[in-house]
Amino acid sequence: MAPRVGIVGAGHCRFGNSSDYDVVDVIAYSVNAAFRDAGGLNLRKEVDQVFVANMAAGLFNRETALASAVISRMDMEPCPAELVENGPASGASAVKLGYMAIASGMADVVLVAGGEVMRSVTGWESTDIVATMAHKEAEYNMGLTLPGFAGMFTRLYMERYGLTERDLALVAVKDHDNAAKNTYAHVQIPVTIDAIADGPNADVVNNYVAEPLRMYSTCPVTDGSAALILVNMDSPKAKLFRKKPVRIAGIASATDTHCVHNRKDPLVLEAVRLSAEKAYTMAGIGPQDISFAELHDAFVIFELIVSEEVGFFERGTSFLAVRRHETDLNGRLPINTSGGLKAKGHPVGATGVSQIFELVRQLRGEAEEGRQVKDPRYGMAVNFGGFGNNVVTTILAKD
Amino acid sequence: MVDFSVYGEQTPHISAFRCEKCGTLYYPAPMVCRKCDSIRDPTTNKGWEEFDLEGPCTLLTWTRVWNLPEGFNRKFLMFGMVEFENGLRASGRVEMEGDPQIGMKLTATTIEADERPGKPVKVFVFS
Repeated sequence: MAPRVGIVGAGHCRFGNSSDYDVVDVIAYSVNAAFRDAGGLNLRKEVDQVFVANMAAGLFNRETALASAVISRMDMEPCPAELVENGPASGASAVKLGYMAIASGMADVVLVAGGEVMRSVTGWESTDIVATMAHKEAEYNMGLTLPGFAGMFTRLYMERYGLTERDLALVAVKDHDNAAKNTYAHVQIPVTIDAIADGPNADVVNNYVAEPLRMYSTCPVTDGSAALILVNMDSPKAKLFRKKPVRIAGIASATDTHCVHNRKDPLVLEAVRLSAEKAYTMAGIGPQDISFAELHDAFVIFELIVSEEVGFFERGTSFLAVRRHETDLNGRLPINTSGGLKAKGHPVGATGVSQIFELVRQLRGEAEEGRQVKDPRYGMAVNFGGFGNNVVTTILAKD
Repeated sequence: MVDFSVYGEQTPHISAFRCEKCGTLYYPAPMVCRKCDSIRDPTTNKGWEEFDLEGPCTLLTWTRVWNLPEGFNRKFLMFGMVEFENGLRASGRVEMEGDPQIGMKLTATTIEADERPGKPVKVFVFS
């Protein structure tokens, strides 16, 4: 039987603009924070394996082989270390590999760190770099970007299910409210529905990015990092750490077609559904057991569609739940308590680790006042790379 | 004397592929047929028929993008996803006055675009 794997250390930097700093330092900052959280920096000598998640430092920062750099910056040689690149799902993929390293018996303690410094280039260049994960001939060469795909996706959803632009704004208002209370969020400013949808200046404040998506339907360009320490809960080493492990109850991934147009239904994110089903099976629970969730809302439409694919709501009804405030912090099923990618920010290589960092904080009861979910038992994170073509779902449990 | 020069305008095309063993159509090119497991050798395309993907198509969805990537010196571009009469789908640019409508009939042609550095690339235009 595979050992139980838990998280005993969690670190995070304030997301925002770190473009004056070396991406390796930005990642090492959160590694330091994770060790301090776990009981002390000396614990880095107990680590058997390191996974560093990063999507494109070679393009954003002209730096490559970040795992070796982080190891050296943290004085952790000769610990084995590998870089994990899986688009914007790099972070959760690194956590999955950390889980597998422990479950396989090859390691007892694994450090997972993710980071990205994207604001070192212009916003236009950043959009282009992220778009390189699309199909080269059939998508990237056309000039298509991720906002473009999300715009087309949103229009189709609106046509089929009756979603409105105001519904998208309601999701943004909720996410910004949550981020305003989150110490680590990029945009800690609440917004009102009047300012971005109902008021006379809403068209100016909340301009179109990729119609029908507007600025407040889209995540900012963000720098930042997060780190986690995973341990074999059945190993004597688990006792070295001061905090009770938060158990990884389920973690699984799935893939879908590289080209979005080649999906049977362009509105179905099959890889989200499959990865969630596998994670539920591994955890021995179902969607009704989830207390709160961090869903990959690089565009707010994703928060809605992912919440349907993982079984929280019937297809085409998630926005009705948002209207009823069911996904608010005090609602029936809080979603994106951190502010989500929309407002906390989306440093692509860090995001998956950051989402799980938020699950750990909530399950430990360590979230800020006014942002803590009441008595959570299971938290879910969905992190995806590409336009939903490589998805990792993670379920953490408070035992 | 042989003249190796190439003169005259060449019309760009984007290729789709048909597996000759089972007839399944693909765009873009696959490496293996999902239906009969036939392998496509990208240097010869032996066993695969290559044909131009163009002509009548139906608009499935569209967007107007205002934050274009580096190199696109335009205010906005429209993009769309279409389905051809043979069932193949593609994404590309939409060019027309005003707003397109989902379900409208369009015609796909191919242009060469050079907004980004490097060699020009082939781009679908649905109009």
